[in-house]
Amino acid sequence: MHLQPDELVDVAEGTRPESSVPHLASCEVCRLQLADLKATISAAADVEVPEPSPLFWDHLSARVRDAVAAEAVPRRSFWAWPRLALPASAVAIAGVGLAILLNTGRVTTPVIAPPAPQVAVAPVELLSDPQSGGDDTALTLVAQLSSDMDFDAAREAGLAARGSAEHAVTHLNGEELRELQRLLQEELARSGA
Amino acid sequence: MGPADRPLADLDERALVEACLDGKSGAFDLIVERHRRPVYLLCYRFVSNHEDASDLSQDVFLRAYRGLRSFRGQSSLGTWLYRIGVNVCLNRVSAKRPASESIEDRQFVDERSESASDRLLKDERGVRVRAAIAQLPRKQRATLVLRMYHEMSHQEIADVLGSSVGAVKANFFHALGNLKKLLGDEVF
Repeated sequence: MHLQPDELVDVAEGTRPESSVPHLASCEVCRLQLADLKATISAAADVEVPEPSPLFWDHLSARVRDAVAAEAVPRRSFWAWPRLALPASAVAIAGVGLAILLNTGRVTTPVIAPPAPQVAVAPVELLSDPQSGGDDTALTLVAQLSSDMDFDAAREAGLAARGSAEHAVTHLNGEELRELQRLLQEELARSGA
Repeated sequence: MGPADRPLADLDERALVEACLDGKSGAFDLIVERHRRPVYLLCYRFVSNHEDASDLSQDVFLRAYRGLRSFRGQSSLGTWLYRIGVNVCLNRVSAKRPASESIEDRQFVDERSESASDRLLKDERGVRVRAAIAQLPRKQRATLVLRMYHEMSHQEIADVLGSSVGAVKANFFHALGNLKKLLGDEVF
């Protein structure tokens, strides 16, 4: 069996002595292949790169400097530091959890309100209908303006800062939203709104 | 005296990268100054002409600057720059046919120790070998250039190319075989 390419390369580069490969002594094909490898390595090794002008190096540095000047400074990424990333994410999760907890607490805590005349309980669907501002013109205007605003736009507008109850609400999943809706319904029914 | 107070020239590679990330003026200039020659030579070995090698070198440093915060010091800065350089060169050579090398590209070679005719023969052989290397398949070319002219170990080349030592040796073997075919008997 002939020598493998990696064996021939090792012998041709001298990292493995020919004596450690007894097959070479008996195989003309492998000997010729080895001789070709050595000759090609020798021919290629003798080739120099033309040295550029001594002025070129400073010119290259200046070109790089100009190109880099147009770039933003590559600041250290906060998330590139694992030691900080873990506690930071824990704080963020805790913050969101606290916001949800506070929000939930606000809904479930009985609201102390002056006695109100018994009126029909507004259906909760009203909450999801921004056009239902009733007779209050200011509320109607807000409802109209916000009807096209999605959560991302609200967040960008600073209406739902990270860590706020609003932010927590806008990041609830479907099941959490349904639970929130149920709690609101309970609360509305209890307070007689 | 902490690293932040030391002169830039006294900083090691890692500290110099930190200085860059801290926005310290001149820190990246120093990185370029320390590595511009090997980066340029690497690029020249791929494209065999000064203009392209010069453009590619600039591109390598610009990409390094953009990606500086991803440098984690697991390899030397030189190896990291080689990795960027090989990627930049391989992308370029796959998009562009190798340019033929002109006599004007052969500048400033010290000719004092050789006769003019010897120098001429060596130059011509060099042009042929470089042209043949430029025709090798991309990975073979990269392997041969890094092994022959940048004295990188097979393991280092494997790290740069994202392959195994076995694959590097096989590529080197085939690169040498193809180089011999391309050159014929003229340079042996």
